[in-house]
Amino acid sequence: MPTITVNSEVAGNVWKLLVQPGERVAADQDLLIIESMKMEIPVSTPSAGVVQECLVAEGEAVGEDQPLLRLQVG
Amino acid sequence: MSWKPELDELARREAFAQAMGGADKVKRQHDAGRLTVRERLTRLVDAGSFHEVGALSGIGEYDAHGRVTQVTPANCVFGRAAIDGRPVVVVGDDFTVRGGSADASIAEKPLMAEDMAAEFRLPIVRVIEGSGGGGSVKTIETKGASNLPGGIGTTRGFWRMTANLAEVPVVGLGLGSVAGLGAARLASTHFSVMTKASAMFVAGPPVVARLGQALDKQALGGAEIQTRSGAVDLAVDTEDEAFAAARRFLSYLPSSVHGVAPVLPSDDDPQRADEMLMSAVPRDRRKVYKMRPIVEAVVDRGSFFEIGRNFGRSIIAGLARLQGLPVLLLASDPFHYGGAWGAETCQKVVRMVDLAETFHLPVVYLMDCPGFMIGLEAERSATIRHGVRAMAALNQTTVPWCTVIVRNAFGVAGAAHQPAGRFSLRYAWLSAYWGSLPLEGGIEAAYRADIEAAPDPKAKLAEIEERLNALRSPFRSAERFWVEEIIDPRRTRALLCDFARLAEPLRTPGPARFAMRP
Repeated sequence: MPTITVNSEVAGNVWKLLVQPGERVAADQDLLIIESMKMEIPVSTPSAGVVQECLVAEGEAVGEDQPLLRLQVG
Repeated sequence: MSWKPELDELARREAFAQAMGGADKVKRQHDAGRLTVRERLTRLVDAGSFHEVGALSGIGEYDAHGRVTQVTPANCVFGRAAIDGRPVVVVGDDFTVRGGSADASIAEKPLMAEDMAAEFRLPIVRVIEGSGGGGSVKTIETKGASNLPGGIGTTRGFWRMTANLAEVPVVGLGLGSVAGLGAARLASTHFSVMTKASAMFVAGPPVVARLGQALDKQALGGAEIQTRSGAVDLAVDTEDEAFAAARRFLSYLPSSVHGVAPVLPSDDDPQRADEMLMSAVPRDRRKVYKMRPIVEAVVDRGSFFEIGRNFGRSIIAGLARLQGLPVLLLASDPFHYGGAWGAETCQKVVRMVDLAETFHLPVVYLMDCPGFMIGLEAERSATIRHGVRAMAALNQTTVPWCTVIVRNAFGVAGAAHQPAGRFSLRYAWLSAYWGSLPLEGGIEAAYRADIEAAPDPKAKLAEIEERLNALRSPFRSAERFWVEEIIDPRRTRALLCDFARLAEPLRTPGPARFAMRP
């Protein structure tokens, strides 16, 4: 099963994690919300799969292209 | 006595050209998953339309009797052709002959292709692979002297590379590894495409390794790198998709700045009112929404052709049609910093607005901009310098504009939503709001003394916020005639089509007041 990493498109702070490791997610499902420029910007998964690992915690500052979650696709 | 012997020799020499770098080199090209230059040009243009110029050129070998035994063709193939029935110039590098480098090139060929495009006022498509006719270290030995870049007799190509941007549509397709002069020819275009298997760089991995950077081609200049950096506009999976993208891009443009873009028949109802538009923007101002479906809902169905999606992502940019009339479309993307303009976004705006001005395209801007990017990184990247440059580009345009304020219009960047000092059309959605500064954060700055002096600063802040919120309704601005119209968002398409009808006769052929830079 291939693994993909979901990266942040923007710099900001992790406002809410919406999924946990082990959770099954559907394609386009929101995984977490980044707060950036006072906006809540959801980050979604391009493919369905199972969350393997959350690489960031709520409140953590993230940069552009920083890996946020690892997903096992399928 | 007829000219049959010469006719036979002509056929023989034409066969040398068709053979390109030889069967082995052609096989190697195919084995690597790439087409030859002749296959590329054939697939790019209308069937049977390619008329080659200079097929006989190359380096000939002769026997003791002066009879030609072999000609290694020059590694530039060019000529005129048609795309969608409209004449164009196409020019391609033959990678099967010395990797497309200067050792086997005849510099006059690519230059003549550019001259032909300019003189006959035709779009030019460059199909680029290798060094694009640029020199290699080996050139010193083959020429017996070292070339001075920009030296005597070498500058006309560079001049044309710039001059044509102000004259005719220029498209670049990077297919394979593209380096040096090839990279410059790819980047110096109005629209550039690369396949995802291709790579582009100023200098390739072996040269970069001398800097201590051990990178393969993809890691150094693959599609992810080059489309994110803005050096290339679009990455596609196959060469056929690259050809299709070139054809589609040209379909929105005139053949040169001396004409206007063709208006195609449209069967999409100009009065089409998509119900989705009423709820497209969330009432909660912290929540973002998808702008691309809004774009699709208001332009002619399926007509939006996005350019540079991976670069300057706070702005979605591309070409679209309104009742068949081509327009440049700009739209904010709230998913990217709420639509705020950073340095890269400003660079994208400059390039797109210049494209519109060069080819007389009316501009439509679906705006949701909370301002320029703020913070240390924004300052480090000279956001304000790039920001005022974008404003200058916008203000220098003479093409008709129509702006729809979808949500935010704040600060100096908020002012950059239509050209200053002349009349444009403008509509505000019911969800629009604006100001010099967003209330969030702005109140603390403007009312600091009041808040600090209050016994309960938090309560004071909330009280001021409530007071100002009551005043910032767009209806109050309309009452003062600070904005012309507030509209039901479902009327947007009808109003934009109305704008297209008004703008169509205003398009004025001729060179722009300033030449576009790549």
